Amino acid sequence: MKVRVDSDLCVGHGRCYVLADDVFEADDRGHCLIPNEDVPPELEDKARVGEQNCPEHAISIEE
Amino acid sequence: MSEVESVSETPEMPTGQFDLDPAKPQAIYDMLREHSPILRTELGGTMIARHEDVEFALRHAELFSSDMDAISIGNVRPLIPLQINPPEHVKYRRLLDPLFAPKQVALLENDVRKLSNQLIDDFIDTGECEFNSAFAIPLPCTVFLRLLGLPLEDLDLFLKFKDNIIRPETREPTEYERIQAETGQEIYAYFDKVLDEREQQPRDDMLTGFLEADVDGNRLSREDILDICYLFLLAGLDTVTASVGCMVSYLAQHPEQRQRLVDDPSQIPGAVEELLRWETPVPGVPRVVAEDVDLCGEHLEAGERITVLLGSANIDERGFPQPDNVDFERPANRHLAFGGGVHRCLGSHLARLELRVALEQLHERIPDYSIKPGEEPKYTMGIRAVDYLPLVFTPPS
Repeated sequence: MKVRVDSDLCVGHGRCYVLADDVFEADDRGHCLIPNEDVPPELEDKARVGEQNCPEHAISIEE
Repeated sequence: MSEVESVSETPEMPTGQFDLDPAKPQAIYDMLREHSPILRTELGGTMIARHEDVEFALRHAELFSSDMDAISIGNVRPLIPLQINPPEHVKYRRLLDPLFAPKQVALLENDVRKLSNQLIDDFIDTGECEFNSAFAIPLPCTVFLRLLGLPLEDLDLFLKFKDNIIRPETREPTEYERIQAETGQEIYAYFDKVLDEREQQPRDDMLTGFLEADVDGNRLSREDILDICYLFLLAGLDTVTASVGCMVSYLAQHPEQRQRLVDDPSQIPGAVEELLRWETPVPGVPRVVAEDVDLCGEHLEAGERITVLLGSANIDERGFPQPDNVDFERPANRHLAFGGGVHRCLGSHLARLELRVALEQLHERIPDYSIKPGEEPKYTMGIRAVDYLPLVFTPPS
């Protein structure tokens, strides 16, 4: 699984890194950073939670 | 016959006859989406109700502008950053976002918890309270004054400022705008004086921070800082008051849901999100059409004032399966209670912190609260403050 964030769409709702801080991190402004786009199997569910709770549909997942 | 039944018999609501019960807006939202997804009203401008149209309007600031033409609230210059359009908008958000990012607001948690407990201490022994004045108003207002470094004795003055702007006590339009404009001048003058004091004697507070801030190599002008403070005053007080009021009112009327949070406080963060979705305390945000555009089969003209109905989008089944089911464990909750797009509520993370901590302390200390028998909560129009919320509960023995 790969997870990506479109930084043009992210406006810092912060849901992803609050709900799944193993996959998503925050920059200084509170926008989403993804340190590792390759998601290990044990974190796939977490990545999905982040994706499903982004109000801007800024996160995408490729399986 | 209730208002809702009377309207649902007619296929379309007559233009301008938009009557919303602020205690139970959900049924009206459902009807709007079904029958009049774009509704022109006399007082609220043009209502946009469907989830996809709301998302579209929020994400296209170039078509649906949040500038000064969108709403009159007593200010003489654009509020910063809300009424600044992209691309200039981002330079202010770059300065302000870090101050309100989750990591930063987390530093306030202990303070917010202590304050919540102090407010509860003041009424817990009596077994009852009027929740709005005892908790919902003082919590966010005190947090706000502390954050900006302003004296707590100015609380009543701030409440007067924000009430005069948000809900002036008149229905007469000229008088309405006169009160707003006069209060606006008082707000500018208040902050101008405090900023003079901070220039003389800098302190470790946000206002001093603004005086020393660097934006693209420049200092903020005095007017810039006033335009930020004006917005903070309007955005920071009423919204959290309304949100905690809406949530506690809902929970007081749904004891099985309240009990869930008492039995398992780990559900509180999910409850905050779900109640933000279901209640949407700030039901709509104002925009103005920047250039002619077609939306949902209707032609909208440049200059037309719009209300983007966040509350309606948040219960649209096209965005939320089983939208009427208030589920604290909803797996996908992309609610728009804090708006969306570039103007996403700057204070959303602070609001979430205050709401979570408030619910944690209330459910720990007065777990069996309910509406006082024979009474009912009263909601305000516009921002849905529950300005009368009589509660009873078992006092500690």
